[in-house]
Amino acid sequence: MLDWLRENWSSILYPVLVFLATYLVGLWIRRAAYRAFDRWATGGRWEGSHLIVQVTRTPFLAWFVMLGAYLAIHVSALGPSTTALTDKVLVALFIISITWVAVRLAEKLLRLYIGKVERLRPSEALIVMIARITITVVGALILLDAWGAPTTPIILLLAAGILIATLAFRDILANLLSGFQLAQGEQIKVGDFVRLESGEGGYIDAVTWRNTQIRGLDGNLILVPNSRLLQSTVINYGRPLKKASEPFRFYSRLHLKEVTGLKARNLTELVGTLKKVPGSVVYYHTHNFLEEHQYLTPEPANDFALWVSDELGDEVLGEKLASIDTFGFPTIAALRARIVGVIEDYLSKNPDGRTAPAGREFHFIRSISVILPTAYVVHDLREFVEVLRKISINSLSFHVFEARLRLQKGVNDFSIWIEDCLGDRDLADRLAYLDPYNYTLENLRSTIIQLVEKRIK
Amino acid sequence: MENAVYTQSRSRLRDYEPIVGRSCLEELRTLAEELGGKVVQNINSTFIGGGVAEILEHMVPLLNQLGVDTRWDVIQGSEEFFEVTKKFHNALHGKDEKISKEDFALFSEITQKNLDELRFYGDILVVHDPQPAGLIAKKKETGRKWVWRCHIDVSNPVRKVWEFLRGFVADYDAAVFSAPSFSQQLPIRQFLITPSIDPLSEKNKELDSGAIDSVLTKYGLTSEKPMIVQISRFDRLKDPLGVMEAFQMVKKSVDCQLVLAGGTATDDPESEEVLEEVRKQAEGNRDIHILLVPPGSDLEINALQRAAAVVVQKSLREGFGLTISEALWKAKPVVATAVGGIPLQIINRFTGLLCHTVEGAAYALKQLLSNPEYAEQLGQNGKEHVRQNFLVTSHLRNYLLMFLALDHPEDIIHL
Repeated sequence: MLDWLRENWSSILYPVLVFLATYLVGLWIRRAAYRAFDRWATGGRWEGSHLIVQVTRTPFLAWFVMLGAYLAIHVSALGPSTTALTDKVLVALFIISITWVAVRLAEKLLRLYIGKVERLRPSEALIVMIARITITVVGALILLDAWGAPTTPIILLLAAGILIATLAFRDILANLLSGFQLAQGEQIKVGDFVRLESGEGGYIDAVTWRNTQIRGLDGNLILVPNSRLLQSTVINYGRPLKKASEPFRFYSRLHLKEVTGLKARNLTELVGTLKKVPGSVVYYHTHNFLEEHQYLTPEPANDFALWVSDELGDEVLGEKLASIDTFGFPTIAALRARIVGVIEDYLSKNPDGRTAPAGREFHFIRSISVILPTAYVVHDLREFVEVLRKISINSLSFHVFEARLRLQKGVNDFSIWIEDCLGDRDLADRLAYLDPYNYTLENLRSTIIQLVEKRIK
Repeated sequence: MENAVYTQSRSRLRDYEPIVGRSCLEELRTLAEELGGKVVQNINSTFIGGGVAEILEHMVPLLNQLGVDTRWDVIQGSEEFFEVTKKFHNALHGKDEKISKEDFALFSEITQKNLDELRFYGDILVVHDPQPAGLIAKKKETGRKWVWRCHIDVSNPVRKVWEFLRGFVADYDAAVFSAPSFSQQLPIRQFLITPSIDPLSEKNKELDSGAIDSVLTKYGLTSEKPMIVQISRFDRLKDPLGVMEAFQMVKKSVDCQLVLAGGTATDDPESEEVLEEVRKQAEGNRDIHILLVPPGSDLEINALQRAAAVVVQKSLREGFGLTISEALWKAKPVVATAVGGIPLQIINRFTGLLCHTVEGAAYALKQLLSNPEYAEQLGQNGKEHVRQNFLVTSHLRNYLLMFLALDHPEDIIHL
């Protein structure tokens, strides 16, 4: 062994010296280069510069170790086949280290930038994972190529895989891209009030990488895929309007009909019974037509007028009863007094000679109102209009007709809230003076919406 | 004795949203929650055939979907018992029937048998029509809320039969009638609830022209001539002979065809006899088609109504007459007699034409066949009228309101 060393000392010494020299040069370059890098990074022109310095500092020296090994082998007396093999190993190690650095750098840079964009935060893990896989795959392909392995079938396989994944996750990708578009365009922001094509409205709660979350006025969360949101017509009303001092809760009211067993065959019986029945009976017969025949224009008049005209054949009295302006009476008692007065006045001048045919008597029906809360609570006029579009006609009837007359508030609920809680006397008065008996319920809904929208604009 | 707990339905509650709107369904859910787990037990006389079974078939599963535990039982009775109850039915409609002491005794005997055998478990018991009305005898033991649901027109009953029945009805907590004129002087509360149709059922769902044509072909009908259609059981109270008479009058000036289609029910032994009479009367007339459709032929009924130029319902007495709402829902012009609950559905000259006589029916039919634009307008109004008042969702709402009102005597109930 000693003899061999004595004869071949130069073939060992030269490679070792070359390796050590390269290593020392590497140490010197790293010190000098990273001083400059540190100065550049501290200058703060680009916040990612710190990351580049941090990630490359350790592998930088390793690259000089590899370079030293490469040069040492080439000045050594090793055979061509051994040299070629070690070259391949060193190139492989270099590619692996470069790939590792690229992965770490990409990961840190992505986390830095995604952290600044709120809408992308939920998708941070996904984006980092995609970058990591992409760089690793590219590194692996370069490595295989360096070793002379056939890469074309692998690339084709990968391409097919990517195509399949794209097809399988096309919705997710479309939503992801749309999410970027929404974020970039800044047309929709968290806190905005929007209305969708479907009629749904609410406040933007969040925009994630898959969907936009809208908080409806009934408290429900509506999830709209980003891609669909971009393709549809969305009205963005922007930030909320003036808040009311107290919110308005919408109630609904449903009617159950209870037969009293009382009936009238002629005018004398009609007026006699009308004086005695509860107010809920008078309310039923003066409002029932509004709901049951709300699709007809003009709507049939109150039940008393209809019966007198159709069954007693007295069109003059029928017309007098039909023309009683229900809106002009603040209470059911006052309305009843008027109806009774009209019939009694007519009877005093005309004999009560007509009797309804058997089976066509006037049946007195009592209206039982069941008042129930809805999920809708509104805080400003925008919310008010949006809810008004979707509440049932039962809810509308309750707040407009029943609250005024049956609950004896004297004016509809909407006007009271708008004046007391929003301080808008003018709009409150406009709604209060609106005679709801002149409209079908759907027309009344539209008219109120138009009045409020005009005020908002 | 059978018992059925229906939780499965061909229709889901949310399927009605496009028809009646979301707010309507939200209101139903709120009402159902207010009932707080009460069990509703329906009792009638048959699972198959007739309007009551048809209503329960749709209502019970939907109430369960709303979270109201609703079940359906039927009483058992012999053929003789159902012959007696058919006589009661006719007498309550005002027809003079010979009802003997033995008939009343048989009714009481079968009622007692059912009282012994049937299980009464509901918190609210809804007893439908006269056949099971005597089960109220169990109220003292159960102490729960009992409701008598009367589906028939009792505005002019034979007093003897009504007085017999009233003895039972007066012990209920409440009675429910389909029209104000059916109500009686009773010491209990009386609610007004109209029956309903299910717009998503086989009988009322939309059909394409291919489906309609295949039914016409099946029954050997042609769409070349305008078709007048009456759908009802073969029952004298539906006056099929009167319809044929009116048709003959129309036929003199308008070339058209008549279809009388209906079935029989297990609780109506008389219908076979009426069918024979009708067939005999129609013999030799190629434009009159008598179709006996078996139970479950809902798709065929649907197609016939949709194929009709005018639907007629010339009943002499009628509980409510759901076939009218079915026709109106299909936007068909309807001619019907002003009896029972029909005027609630047909507002004369707004949603259809009312008549009182054979001649009046013939006149109205001619008007509609000769003025298709007017007929179409009536049909469209009729459809909206049904949407507003006679769909199963309105019916569900009224039942839920009535269940709640049983514990609330006041006029205004705050939930």
